Amino acid sequence: MAAEFTLILVIVLIIMAISLAFSIGANDETLSALVGAGVLKFKIALIIGSVALGVGMILFSGGFVAKTVGADILGEGITYTTFMLLTVLISSILWLVIGSFAGIPLSSTHSLVGSIFGVIIVYALNQGGVNPDTALNWTKLGNIVLSWFLSPVFGFIVTFILFKLIAKLYLSRLKGLNQIERSERYFKWILLGAVIFAEIWVGANSGEALGILYGLFNSGSINLTQYFLFAVICGIFAGIGIYVAARYVIKNLASQMINTRPSEGIILQTSSAIILMIATIFGLPISHSHVIVFCIIGLSVAQKKEVDYKALGKMGVYWILTFPIAALLAGFIYYGFIYFGLP
Amino acid sequence: MEDLDINEIDEKKLLKLSIDELTRLFAKNINEQTLKLIEGIEFLVDENFEKFIESMKYVIKTNTEVHIKKVFESKIFKSKLMFSKADRLKLFTKINDIKNIGEFLANKMLLYRVVFPDDTFKLQILDILKSLRLISTEISEAVNLIGSDLSKAYKVCENIKEERRSMRRKEWKLINRLYNYDMDYLSRTFLYLKELIETIMMLADHIKNFSEYIQFLSTKYLIFD
Repeated sequence: MAAEFTLILVIVLIIMAISLAFSIGANDETLSALVGAGVLKFKIALIIGSVALGVGMILFSGGFVAKTVGADILGEGITYTTFMLLTVLISSILWLVIGSFAGIPLSSTHSLVGSIFGVIIVYALNQGGVNPDTALNWTKLGNIVLSWFLSPVFGFIVTFILFKLIAKLYLSRLKGLNQIERSERYFKWILLGAVIFAEIWVGANSGEALGILYGLFNSGSINLTQYFLFAVICGIFAGIGIYVAARYVIKNLASQMINTRPSEGIILQTSSAIILMIATIFGLPISHSHVIVFCIIGLSVAQKKEVDYKALGKMGVYWILTFPIAALLAGFIYYGFIYFGLP
Repeated sequence: MEDLDINEIDEKKLLKLSIDELTRLFAKNINEQTLKLIEGIEFLVDENFEKFIESMKYVIKTNTEVHIKKVFESKIFKSKLMFSKADRLKLFTKINDIKNIGEFLANKMLLYRVVFPDDTFKLQILDILKSLRLISTEISEAVNLIGSDLSKAYKVCENIKEERRSMRRKEWKLINRLYNYDMDYLSRTFLYLKELIETIMMLADHIKNFSEYIQFLSTKYLIFD
């Protein structure tokens, strides 16, 4: 009976992880620049973006961010139980839903890692023989939190430098609108490459869904073959998420980006992709939206445009609050499970 | 493009032109009509009514720009240059507005055969027309420069704004003179001259606004290192 219950729970977790992968695709707006610039037909752009995101997710499922979320973040000898993973998913989804209804832009990555933190601390405090000091891999967690602060800053710096460099070497030499239009015509195709590059790394760094699957694999609930099979399914569903659901966000954002020059899109996408690539190689799950926001600020500062620092400050407060609130929420939920004898 | 005469171009030739070439041709055509309008008012000042009516009718009846407009609109609609599409369209619309105001002025001027009060008034209005001729030609030049050199276009627009400021001073002098004439017995003349000055200034105002729009485009598109 208990084994059957655990099996059902594992199936539920796998379904939730796949749904999470779908929602990652559904919330991905990387293609907006490409659609806004009118490089490709909308449906073709969606297909290319879907494939790139899925490929990125699948190619890097063997370790990197998935391994960090699913195993490395935990202390020595600690593995997830199915209820821990269930709590992590419920808590992060709940906090994101609350944030969406309140109109607060939140990071799913911060929410997930915060939830893991809350669950493990409650587990350590309630489980005899587990030292809260060693229940988590504090070095890894510290690196992750540090990367959350460093990645937007580097996004800002890389974009700023990249723009200044391209402006000095090429853009400032363009004198007339005809010349600008001609060069932007070529930039459009480079933008296509930059967006594919960015989309692959967005997929590679989206460790939320694969982290849960890796946790199941690490705890022995699924084997390696099953893990890779579900990772492929997650990749496919992330792609479907773009094609089916993200199209509305992309269309909406693209219509606002019609005036954006393809060269600016290239700078933004390349900068954010570089940051995501470095973070993924180091196995650090970072927020793509935080990086892209700072890349946009970097570009605005480089172009001497105004930046809404008030709105940015407000956003920063929510970003910082996400981790502790998700941790508290997960802690309470998991405590509830323990209370009912479901550790 | 420079040698093209709008009266000799058929739709096939127009279709071969780029969006920028069509814009330039359109600006050239509208400038020619504005110059004809100014020339007509000068005939009126000289009391050469026959030539004046001929010029006004030319401005009203000429519709060669309609063909350019039609081709431009079909081309811009299909254009894949998203980032500059709206600006190109707005640019074209602003050129078209010059024609609309010119046509409005020409129609209004044909309503009554006016005789100017004195030679000083005539000289002052000719001075305003001289400025209008200058800014009309310069705005056409600025449109020509948008495609090749936005910095130069910006500078030309600065000249237009400066000339427009001097026109304003001339306008107040003229209005002041008009209000001090004892013309109550000839209220139609007063009304006609007042409206003539105001509509000329309306055209000048539009050209000035247009030049500011070109300056906006220059700052938008030019990147400085």
